[in-house]
Amino acid sequence: MRSLFLVLAVLLAPLSPVLAAQVLRISAIPDQNPERLNRLYGLVAAELGDQLGVQVRYVPVIDYTAAVTGFRRGDLDLVWFGGLTGVQARLQTPGAVVLAQRDVDARFLSVFIANRQALKDLKPFTSIDELSQLKDKRFSFGSESSTSGRLMPQFFLAKAGVEPKDFSGGRPGFSGSHDATIALVQSGAYEAGALNEQVWESRLKEGKVDTSKVVLLWRTPTYPDYHWVAQGNLNKRFGAGFTSKLQQALLNLSPDQPRQAQVLELFGAKKFIEAPVDQYASIESVGRQLGKIR
Amino acid sequence: MTPAGQMLIPALVLLPLLWLLPGAVHGGGLALLLQFWVAALQPSLEPHLLLTALRGIGVTLAIALWSWLLSLLLGFGGGLLSSVAVSQRLWCCSWPALLARRLLALPRSLHELLWGLILLQLMGLQPGVAVLAIALPYGALVARVMADQLDALPVRPIEALSTAGAPAWAALFTAFLPPLWPQVLSYGGYRLECALRSATLLGVFGLGGIGADLRLSLQSLQFHEVWTSLWCLAAVMLLLEWSVRWLQRRWHQPLGCVGQRGLELLLLAVVLGLLLIPSAQLMELRWQELFSSWHWPESLPLWDVAGWMQPWLPLIGTTLLLTLLSALLALAITPWVLLLLCPWNGCRPLLQLLGLLARLLPPPLTALLLLFVLKPGLLPAVLALGLHNAGILGRLLLEGLDAQDQRASEALQLAGAGPRRSLLVAGFNTVARSYLSFGAYRADVILRESVVVGLVGAGGLGVLLLESLSSFAWIEVVPVLVVYAALTLIGEAAADAYRSRLLSGPLPLEGLNPAVGS
Repeated sequence: MRSLFLVLAVLLAPLSPVLAAQVLRISAIPDQNPERLNRLYGLVAAELGDQLGVQVRYVPVIDYTAAVTGFRRGDLDLVWFGGLTGVQARLQTPGAVVLAQRDVDARFLSVFIANRQALKDLKPFTSIDELSQLKDKRFSFGSESSTSGRLMPQFFLAKAGVEPKDFSGGRPGFSGSHDATIALVQSGAYEAGALNEQVWESRLKEGKVDTSKVVLLWRTPTYPDYHWVAQGNLNKRFGAGFTSKLQQALLNLSPDQPRQAQVLELFGAKKFIEAPVDQYASIESVGRQLGKIR
Repeated sequence: MTPAGQMLIPALVLLPLLWLLPGAVHGGGLALLLQFWVAALQPSLEPHLLLTALRGIGVTLAIALWSWLLSLLLGFGGGLLSSVAVSQRLWCCSWPALLARRLLALPRSLHELLWGLILLQLMGLQPGVAVLAIALPYGALVARVMADQLDALPVRPIEALSTAGAPAWAALFTAFLPPLWPQVLSYGGYRLECALRSATLLGVFGLGGIGADLRLSLQSLQFHEVWTSLWCLAAVMLLLEWSVRWLQRRWHQPLGCVGQRGLELLLLAVVLGLLLIPSAQLMELRWQELFSSWHWPESLPLWDVAGWMQPWLPLIGTTLLLTLLSALLALAITPWVLLLLCPWNGCRPLLQLLGLLARLLPPPLTALLLLFVLKPGLLPAVLALGLHNAGILGRLLLEGLDAQDQRASEALQLAGAGPRRSLLVAGFNTVARSYLSFGAYRADVILRESVVVGLVGAGGLGVLLLESLSSFAWIEVVPVLVVYAALTLIGEAAADAYRSRLLSGPLPLEGLNPAVGS
């Protein structure tokens, strides 16, 4: 018995630091491996903290829905959302503002990939209609609320006449993240999948994809995706002009500074640019069409 | 049919499952599944990972501890309120108790995960959500069990006290508390184990603690990291199960000197009390925030007819089928494995190890693993729920067999009966009634739990609910919750009816009773 309490005492000993009154809580949809996210947003928090002179804390969330809920509830101040989650979050949070997107985000795309062994007969194609070959295959999306890993792929599949119920087992899988989709298709657990093109390219470059096992089938047309969304009350909480200072800090991230260069590299971008809000109208309409926005 | 026979019958469920199997296997990820098991021997020992795992375990334990204490308090109060015997003493009528009992059925009818998801919407991302999510349904469950026990106590002592002129409250405490006490201790200990499992599961859905690490590292196929968390969780779970068992045994025996038990209880209470503050700090529990800023979604068209237009029949049918198949599977596994392997000495340790693994992995994660080799659909969900619950039921069965008088089976073996025969006749026949009645309780729990495997596309209400939540379609969420609650209340009544037919009378709270609840 005593040993139990000893263990409990040891486990419960590390007390959390007391929170200061005003902390800028940043977060992101968990679209990649958690260790990568921790590294990236740890750096972002440090960088913003230094530039803005406020305490910045990265709050990891476990799924896309939780990020939207946290933002709506006001538990998160600045979130790196995908196209769909960003629209969902802004529809539910009056006053929320879009601060920036990456240079790549205005013309983003997804890729469809397949396991070479499982689908020997499937060759890379260029016409959207060929997506119909994926009928009756074991197919995995990324997260349920992912724009590049679910929403747009499902939209393009529907254009080719493939509904979610047409996949083997009567429904697609949801791997949870883009990295997981690659791993599951590579292993053969799923025969094919769809994911964020940028993650695909960067994993290829890092040599993390076994190209003898996975093959690229098709690149989708482009659509707008990821963006930074901030709460509308930051000026009130952190002082006049804070929101524009925050926006400038993001827009000014430059590859000349070592830490900023690291941030940009992990984001897979050369720089952040301003994001016109009206570009997400198309995402909203696809979201409504597929029932992800009501 | 003999009781032992009834224990073996649920195995008929294997027929439809085996029939479904060939169509569901794809085996594409067999290599991954092998990698997962090989990784069990080589958990990642990187310091920062170990630290993260320890912290995660700490938060999970903290959530379990707080929610457990809160649920006991709620349950104790609720139990007094909904006991007919108490009500008659205090107010000379029984309707307040019956009303309280009906009202308490509502929080009980939703799984703690559903409470978690609802409270998350209302209160935001904070650990207090998990505490309340477990405490509410558990409290209502404890209240029901308490009330059942109170009403089953003999009324003579209290009548004597009342006749002698004792005030109602004093008479209640003097007459009811002492006989109830050992059962409360025994049941309370088991609830803590349940709370640990629930806290882990809530973590899987992002409500804090080690469950999140488990899910993220499993989803990104970092199996060595998965096992770092799993082994930590296993150590804590075993330690907890053993110490609860040890304390229960100790307090059930007459102790050396008068007052010793009270002293030990007091000591335990003090230690638990001392743990409360640091554990609240560890999970950053902030009560004032928890209750200050409730936040309803902007528009909540609760009673819009459109949300009620769902294909209820197939949804409910799938949910019930999933429940039935999983419950039968959970019941069937352990007795059959025991029966087939019992001549072999390593049989019980093997079953104990497998049972621990089954209890350890939350069902949605087992389901994710199964998807490596099975197509999405009903089968992986049934297997995931069935295996997890077999781990819980199996442990009770093994303990029940160990606790019974061994002489009958020894006598049979001396008379020349084989180990299988003596296990059947002397072992199973004695424990069958209580095992089956826990199976009934468990089926009730599985019905609630069926929502948690919505993740793997098992179909049914769980899938609809998770999809509606991720689309923020409140208009659909509310009807699904209402239907779910109605279904579990009916299920509870059916399980009760079956149990009382089996046992004719309320269950004793000792020994084989932890299956109540999660």
